[in-house]
Amino acid sequence: MEIIQQLIGRLHPLVVHLPIGFIIAALLLQWYDRKNKEWSKIIGLLFQWAFISATVACISGYLLYKGEGYSFDTVKFHLWFGIVTALFSLLMYLRLAAPSKMDFLKRVPVVLLSFSLLFLISFTGHLGGNITHGSDYLIEPLPNSIKSLLGAGPKVYEMPTIEEENWEEAVLYTDLVQPILNNKCVSCHNAKKEKGELQLEEENGILKGGENGAVIEPNDPQNSSLYARLVLPLDHEDHMPPKDKTQLSKEEIDIIESWIANSNSFDKKIGELGLKKELFQAFFPKAKDNTYPDVKVAEVPKDTISAIKKKGFHVERVSENSNFIRVSCINRPTFKDKDFDLLSPVKNQIVYLDLGKTLITDAVFEKISTLPNLTILKMDNTGITGKNIEHLEKLEYLRKLNLVGTNFQEVHLAHLKRFKKLQTVYLFNTPVKKPDYVDRPKEGELFIDYGGYDLPKIATDSIVF
Amino acid sequence: MNSLDRLIKEKLQREIQARTRRHFIKDCVAGMGGLAMGSFFMSCNSFLGNNEKGKIALTERDVNPLASMAPPFPAKVKSVIYLHMAGAPSQLEMFDYKPALQKLDGQVTPQSMLEGKKFAFIRGTPKLLGPQAEFKQHGESGNWVSNFLPHFSKVVDEVAFLKAVNTDQFNHGPAQLFMHTGSPRLGRPSIGSWVTYGLGSENQNLPGFVVLTSGGKTPDAGKSVWGSGFLPSVYQGVQCRSKGDPVLYIDDPKGIARNLKKSTIDAINNINKKEFDEYSDPEILARINQYEMAYRMQTAVPEVMNINNEPEHIKEMYGVRPGKESFANNCLLARKLVEDGVRFVQLFDWGWDSHGTGHDTAIDLGLRNKCTEIDRPMSALLLDLKQRGLLDETLVVWGGEFGRTPMQENREGQEMAYKGRDHHGDAFTMWMAGGGIKKGASWGITDEIGFSALEGQVSVHDVHATMMHLLGFDHEQFTFDFQGRPFRLTDVEGHVIHEILA
Repeated sequence: MEIIQQLIGRLHPLVVHLPIGFIIAALLLQWYDRKNKEWSKIIGLLFQWAFISATVACISGYLLYKGEGYSFDTVKFHLWFGIVTALFSLLMYLRLAAPSKMDFLKRVPVVLLSFSLLFLISFTGHLGGNITHGSDYLIEPLPNSIKSLLGAGPKVYEMPTIEEENWEEAVLYTDLVQPILNNKCVSCHNAKKEKGELQLEEENGILKGGENGAVIEPNDPQNSSLYARLVLPLDHEDHMPPKDKTQLSKEEIDIIESWIANSNSFDKKIGELGLKKELFQAFFPKAKDNTYPDVKVAEVPKDTISAIKKKGFHVERVSENSNFIRVSCINRPTFKDKDFDLLSPVKNQIVYLDLGKTLITDAVFEKISTLPNLTILKMDNTGITGKNIEHLEKLEYLRKLNLVGTNFQEVHLAHLKRFKKLQTVYLFNTPVKKPDYVDRPKEGELFIDYGGYDLPKIATDSIVF
Repeated sequence: MNSLDRLIKEKLQREIQARTRRHFIKDCVAGMGGLAMGSFFMSCNSFLGNNEKGKIALTERDVNPLASMAPPFPAKVKSVIYLHMAGAPSQLEMFDYKPALQKLDGQVTPQSMLEGKKFAFIRGTPKLLGPQAEFKQHGESGNWVSNFLPHFSKVVDEVAFLKAVNTDQFNHGPAQLFMHTGSPRLGRPSIGSWVTYGLGSENQNLPGFVVLTSGGKTPDAGKSVWGSGFLPSVYQGVQCRSKGDPVLYIDDPKGIARNLKKSTIDAINNINKKEFDEYSDPEILARINQYEMAYRMQTAVPEVMNINNEPEHIKEMYGVRPGKESFANNCLLARKLVEDGVRFVQLFDWGWDSHGTGHDTAIDLGLRNKCTEIDRPMSALLLDLKQRGLLDETLVVWGGEFGRTPMQENREGQEMAYKGRDHHGDAFTMWMAGGGIKKGASWGITDEIGFSALEGQVSVHDVHATMMHLLGFDHEQFTFDFQGRPFRLTDVEGHVIHEILA
């Protein structure tokens, strides 16, 4: 009995095309016959067949779903829409050839039913196709530019990562090899698709190999097609992944190679295999860049930037993906306190401000304190004395302060020690006296660089050999 | 068959006779249409296209090729000072301490070591040569520095060493090209050109890429080591001299007053402006900009290149020799240039080719003098950058084009009067200091005699990748299209050396 059930189930892909054909033929006939109304009988008959074949398709489809172990989530919409299609076919048949006692049906407009059926048959068919071929099957051959227009941009693969602290504890296969295969190979070599009769989803499939036999020759990557095909020239017929697919990075290929070269163990830890740390460098999570505040700011409009540039400021974005900007007066040595207002449109975005060698005075501190995200401030070689510098305490991200070559007075130094995030202050060439002994700053403590470094003369300076 | 041929021929002739001028015009329509289409497509090009105001849409770069641009990623440093010791300094007398080599001094090199190796001058079986310097561990990092560099040993905690850099070139020219352009052959842009192309320059009055040389000669590879290759020539290095006029022909000619020059340039620019209004070629705007920059440089360059105004104690720290061409002057200038927003400063110091052919190239004599020449200036450079808060945003790179052999050179198979070492690229030392660099780090270990790398071997491409990384670039993404394909500084290689990054 089960065999017959399975057999009927597997006939589903054949049977489904009957209702598709009937419904489309009937709809076309309806269109041609819209004026003369001569073929009503045939059209009604076609919908009758459509209903019957759709019902058979639903039953066979249900058996297929039961017999082949699809999950209900995968098939549910296809299933429900299939049943609805069958019901609508029946409805249409009844509407067209209704016995007189079902007069109420006459109130339903035929056009509505026709369009519903057209939609149902297309959509149900599409969902069915998605189940057998995968949901990206249809748009896959399109160029990436069009794909992204459709909102289905090229897949972005994230490299697997392992923790740098205990990298030797990671299991080579589970933590790296399989995730790499999942990212770059499994979309074709899976249980559903099985290109080249190869499955790379898990251990058994990998060990079983494909139509050309095993893909792994233990300890011999060069003769294992799982590795050897990765390193063939891109244009080579046997190169994998295919030319137009996302390729493995060099580091990923190295991992596959080392895995095969070390008996392709499925459970050994990296430490047990005695592999070198260099191999995994690319897989350690990258330290987050904390140079600038972790705050989101709006993008400065291009016009604003060019307006500020026209005034002689040097303005550049911190990076292409950041809205923070660096501003420097290197080309505007005549900058005065009152010019500061020119920068107010970008006050939230400035993280780096270089006012070195300008004409600023102590009045500028209050203005600078309106830059909430300022991280690095340079005021070297200016006339400031440090009066009012306490205003800068408001700047919660200020990390570096360059006061080299200014007239900064020692009395204001105490203020700086209260600044929350301030790490380094440069006081070289200022009236502040360098203490005889400078303590090495502890973690998170303010470091005052008094400068004045020297390389005392030594005897060998003048010896010529 | 013959009659059939004749029939076909006749048919063709008749067809031709039936052709009229109308046919010709009709056939041409498609071609004409195509031509017309071409001009429509041209208007799709944003470069030539008009915006709504009827003005040409130009990017900032069209007008000023040195306009600064944001790097793809946040940069750790904004400037680079590259100290190149042309001729290849001996790592075995400076940084790579090999006590075992001392014990093997004078012994014949085992044949197994020489197999498959190529040397520039060593022939037959050379003898091993022990280190000619005394080594000590210095600073908190405990990194080894020899007594040839007594000042540098005090700043050793500021730098990160690469002890096993590898190059596949063993002659100066190709190796220098490789070190600076990523290829041992001519035609590629130098790192400085890539960087100024990618980031532009901050200071409008100074070039973005400045080259300073010392030691009496320029590098063997010639000016290509700071050339722009296939990048626009505006990105090539500008060589400034530390003696005489910093830039040749920058002075006003005799009898030509400054304001006369200004009016000349203004007049030229006015003509160019008219030309631009007529033809809208952005190249003209770039040219106008170049004239103006050259004019501004006339005052800015001599000013920044003048070290006389520096305070005495700074000059003493560097050990400058005013009026002379010296590495010390160049180091001080490098600091001044970086301070004034120059993107890339390239220093070359010639005279490191210690073959032992004479006193000046002897490992224990000439090399030691060369070390004394650079010891104070390069240490002072690090300290001076540091006290000005510039070391955090500058990358200082030191190295040669390759290293030297643990064997004593035996030119023509003969024993030589002076001690020398031959070219050797398998494992040599470089160091980096500055923003984003792990202070006091050391990466790479060579074997007992410093001949090959045991661990942490890095290539020239890796060094480039690391420099690019610190400047905010992914070296694999930073490309320039030339001859139908994108080119990279690191070609198809290079890995960022994370071990020396903070």
